[in-house]
Amino acid sequence: MDVEEQRRLLINQNNPPENSSEEEWSDESSDDSYYSDSDSSVPEWESSIHDTTGELLFIDCHPFVTQNIDTTKPKTPLQPFSKDQLRRSTRGKFLRLIRRRESQRHSRRYPKTPDLDSTTNKVKFHDSQEGEEKEVVLKLSRKPELGLPESLLGISVGTLSDGNRVMVAGFPPDSEAKHEKNIKIGDWLKSVNNIPVTNQNLNSVLDKLSDKHEVLLKLQRVAGVEVTKDPPINELNCQSRFVRELVGFGKEDEQLLLEKLAQYPIGILYLNTDKLSEGNPEYDDVIYSYPLPFQKSVLCQSRGIFITLNHLINDVTRTKPQSTSFFHRDKLCHLTYTQENNKLLLFLFPDSCASVKESVLISNEIKRMFLFMYQSLDQCFTIESNRQQINHFFARCFTRLLNAKKWTTSDYITGNKALAEPSQCQFEDVLPVAPTLPLPNEAYMQVDDALTELEASDYREWNEEPLDCQRLFTILGSALYHHGYLLISHLMYEDLIDVHVFCRQQGFFHLSKTEPVKTLLLWKEVFPHSCNRSANTNAKIPDGKRYLLLVGSRKDLLAVIMEAGGCTEPAEDNMGPDAFYVEEAQATLAHIQELGIPELADRWISTNPGPQVTIPETCTKRKSDFLDTLSKSVSQHKEGRKPEVTSILKRRNSDQNVTNSSSFFLDDHSDSGSQCESRRSRCDSDDSDDYGDGSQMSNSSFDISELRQTILSETGEIQPRQLTAGKDNVLFHFIQFDATEGILIGPPECRLQSQTIDAILDCFRNACHKFHSLFQNTLRFKNMPAQDMAKSVMNKSLIAIKEHGVMFECPFLDDIDNKKSNIKYWVVGRLFYMPHPREVYVCYQENIPQNIIELAFKIDLDLAK
Amino acid sequence: MSAHVVCVTSGGGLPIFSRKKGNTDSLPFSTIGSLNGVHMFGKSQKITLQNTVTEDYSLAWKEYHDSLVLIGISSGCTIEVLTKTLDSIFNAIVLIVGIEEIKSQRNIERFKRELRICYPLIDRLLDSLDCGDSGSRHSSDLIGLVETILCPENHLIQIVLDSFTECVDSLFSCVLIHGKIAAATNSWWSLHPEEIKLLAILAQSENTSSSKDIPVFLPYKSPTVAFRFVCCTLIPDIQLCCLCGPTPVLSEVEFSATNCFKNSADILSSAIQCHPRNFHSTCHIDGGILGLLLVNTTYGKYMITRNPHQNSNKKNASSSHRLDILRTFFYQSVLTFLVPSEDSNEDAEISNKSEANVGLETYWCSEYHKCFAMKIRDNILAVLFNSSIPTFAMRLITEKTLKNLISDKQICW
Repeated sequence: MDVEEQRRLLINQNNPPENSSEEEWSDESSDDSYYSDSDSSVPEWESSIHDTTGELLFIDCHPFVTQNIDTTKPKTPLQPFSKDQLRRSTRGKFLRLIRRRESQRHSRRYPKTPDLDSTTNKVKFHDSQEGEEKEVVLKLSRKPELGLPESLLGISVGTLSDGNRVMVAGFPPDSEAKHEKNIKIGDWLKSVNNIPVTNQNLNSVLDKLSDKHEVLLKLQRVAGVEVTKDPPINELNCQSRFVRELVGFGKEDEQLLLEKLAQYPIGILYLNTDKLSEGNPEYDDVIYSYPLPFQKSVLCQSRGIFITLNHLINDVTRTKPQSTSFFHRDKLCHLTYTQENNKLLLFLFPDSCASVKESVLISNEIKRMFLFMYQSLDQCFTIESNRQQINHFFARCFTRLLNAKKWTTSDYITGNKALAEPSQCQFEDVLPVAPTLPLPNEAYMQVDDALTELEASDYREWNEEPLDCQRLFTILGSALYHHGYLLISHLMYEDLIDVHVFCRQQGFFHLSKTEPVKTLLLWKEVFPHSCNRSANTNAKIPDGKRYLLLVGSRKDLLAVIMEAGGCTEPAEDNMGPDAFYVEEAQATLAHIQELGIPELADRWISTNPGPQVTIPETCTKRKSDFLDTLSKSVSQHKEGRKPEVTSILKRRNSDQNVTNSSSFFLDDHSDSGSQCESRRSRCDSDDSDDYGDGSQMSNSSFDISELRQTILSETGEIQPRQLTAGKDNVLFHFIQFDATEGILIGPPECRLQSQTIDAILDCFRNACHKFHSLFQNTLRFKNMPAQDMAKSVMNKSLIAIKEHGVMFECPFLDDIDNKKSNIKYWVVGRLFYMPHPREVYVCYQENIPQNIIELAFKIDLDLAK
Repeated sequence: MSAHVVCVTSGGGLPIFSRKKGNTDSLPFSTIGSLNGVHMFGKSQKITLQNTVTEDYSLAWKEYHDSLVLIGISSGCTIEVLTKTLDSIFNAIVLIVGIEEIKSQRNIERFKRELRICYPLIDRLLDSLDCGDSGSRHSSDLIGLVETILCPENHLIQIVLDSFTECVDSLFSCVLIHGKIAAATNSWWSLHPEEIKLLAILAQSENTSSSKDIPVFLPYKSPTVAFRFVCCTLIPDIQLCCLCGPTPVLSEVEFSATNCFKNSADILSSAIQCHPRNFHSTCHIDGGILGLLLVNTTYGKYMITRNPHQNSNKKNASSSHRLDILRTFFYQSVLTFLVPSEDSNEDAEISNKSEANVGLETYWCSEYHKCFAMKIRDNILAVLFNSSIPTFAMRLITEKTLKNLISDKQICW
């Protein structure tokens, strides 16, 4: 265990129950008085900073019921960033900033014994005061058909995230316990008739009690604040296995996983082709290989084939090989090549995980991520200290791939648990683009403002005395994600793709989609495309270092790229995160959350006011019916549907308002600080310009809660839009893929489960891969210098294809009785060159003919709005 | 714009032959050795190399009966087409020497000598690859399918052919016009499409004498027992082929052929006018259509035409390019989406889901042309249009044309 942590424990024990043991400790530990003037600025993550590289990955989750995240979520109070108070302080910000840096260095003087287990990242468990303990007397009921706890107590149980403690997860219908106001979902069930219960002994304890009529339950409120007293500290764990693996693997888990992985034809190999000769030791040419050991890796053993092929094919065809397919023990596998100078990077994936085209895209993406993280493949694989990190990455990456590309934990692979179904084809998720959620104007503007303010780092207004010190970082850009969707990006296109690929491959999107994250913090030196790798040498890139700061909370993720050097203070080696900038980013994120952007985005995702997609239904109508409706649809469109849709949304709005008043946000407004004030005043001036006359918002009382309401109520005016022509919606799916801007527009993930749509989309994605590669041909030819065209061996019939469509027929799978009826649908892809290349793919039912150009235009309109 | 195919023995890696297409150097011996070497080394690692793709090229390895390895390299075509071509080439080898000879490999030198006959077949098969050069004479060849010609006289020829078949006491015979089947007996169509295709090519290869009498092993029907493939030229560019046992001797066949066809000379000479249009001149075809490809997947036959209109007799420069476009469209899109692959039948469980999705129609639009293909039962029609045609009109025109073609009794498709 971390020494810091132990020490902190000691402190906690020495000063028994205090309101905030955390702060107390930090005051003692840092002999600088700075921390005492703010109560939330204690970097709880500080001990997680890596000693030598300054990297940081800190994840703090709310406790939660497995598979029942939503029930605990509303109870988790928003972490109040009382940064606002901090800002009110009259002391010069930068003066403090510098002090803080000193203090940080200071605190590092404390002896730290290196942790043996986790070498790169450490987690510190955040603990705080315990909730009240309650005693409840329950009558035992008997419903034999349910599980024991349900039948006896009328409570269904889950486990707290440490996997040991019993948690109240819900109530079966008509249970008496439900009406007991002292039992809440999320409570920790401590004991039954004074017998302490754990997940293991619960059933046996209840068994003994089954002849009694009443039992005494002891419960403790857990949600919101983690209980830390009873369980030993090393068992305390409010993290899911996924989070634990994200932060670092245990040695044993890793070993188990390696053994398992060796059975699959999967792997990565980085080679120095110059060193391959008879005289050298056997694995001299291997720079990096995973899974280990070399002797067990298929790829490593057979590397000779691929080194030869790589060299040979280049000789024969004057082109570089992209991929090779082969059977290994009757399993089809695909191998991809990347050559750089005399180094060769090989990826191997089984066909059950990834098709050839997916393999190529996935390996390109991983390569891109490495370039972003380590500047070059050489740096990535040759520097010994990176190795642990890369191993860790591939352990998780391959686990995911083997589980049909769905994120999972290694115990699924090692524990022989059933892996997911044979992999569905992925298309959107392997393209180097960020799925984007277009926000309504007002919300967009607010987020835009917030990010711009963060990026500007203009702190003059908080200082009374003029500053004579340089700032530490310039912010190059930032991007905000919600639930894995890009909301807004101020990054350069290429950098956005870098950041997106990094977050996707590392699983941060999965984290923000599935886990109740309280705090996510990542700090890492990175090499964005625009700064180091771009071929464009005209632009002078300042000499310096860039860092990626990821700040996450709940479903939101804010990515910031910062530059040290250039116009700021010269960069130090292995610089750790600076508390001030971290807080700035966190405050920005908190402000955005206060604005209600997450709620808006969630609502956006769930109601999907953008282009509507539908799922196939058994076709009762004949084609002629559809065509008949075509003519009518124009008139009906105007009158029909409008009122009902708005009314639904309006109702939601009023609901929202009710919850608002009771929500924690209002409590916060009272102490929202000067930063908000500055925002407020600016908003006011903006608004008075915009809404000049007759705006209901009175300037004087205008604050965030109103802004929030304005933003949230904006959805009221937005109607679901139908992309396809005709009265009935026939669109199943659409994708707009813009490689230049790095964004992708598509419908939110499918909410409705339907076998038919799964089969259709699988087929759709397969076809998209094919279309995409045909379009790549066209683009390649367009960009080819004229003198090369004559020499090119490209098939001349394929050089200018811009649209491709296929109509498929598929039986209706959902309804057994209806197996006979078939659905016909088109998959169409279109390439647009102007203003920059863009690809649109749609999938729609065949009944009504559609024009892809028109559809693409409508998708674009939707974006522009 | 090049293609290579190399054959080596799988045991010793001895080179059997190496053929190429396009203006490229032959592969050096060391390259052949390495290409085979990686395949051989893979076997010791329980790896069976299948294929490799580069930006422009495809490579495929395939081993047959643990005795021969075929390696193909080609630019511009898909792996699927290249692999099919390798299969066809192997079938051509079986056709000439029989499966036993391949499996036993008693005398490599003799084996090589025997395979010389194969070379024209192999070279012709390589012409089916769509390397993207329109220079090839045989850009109407499709791999694994046999080309037909739809003359108005086909009915009459069929009648004569049937009577000839009785004379020579064989069930298998056909009439070829420029190597395309004009008429064939039902039994001839019952052969595997590969066999029909190979026999048609064989009849055309090295047409020096007026008659041929070659022993052939049918790769699917009888890979071990040889038939006699007899082929006589009726008039220039029209050949009569039949498969028969030890009797009748060639002269008797020739005699029967003359007897049966002597009264149909006019029919034959008018039928030959159909070439290179390959197609009924009376059949009405929409004016916007630049080329047609009609395929029947059950019989494995197709008809391709690049100028379906009567007035376009004069050969314009772009018309041979049309065949290339149609062929590429067929390989890239129709084969991928509309023709279910045979492999998927083997592991039906896995491909159940994707098999549920059957392609019916496909199209693409290029800057310079548009193509549309439609499948009705086992017939597929691929149509090449001018790029100015509206996309929605292609579907209607194709549907109408296809229905016309398959219902028209005159055409005898």
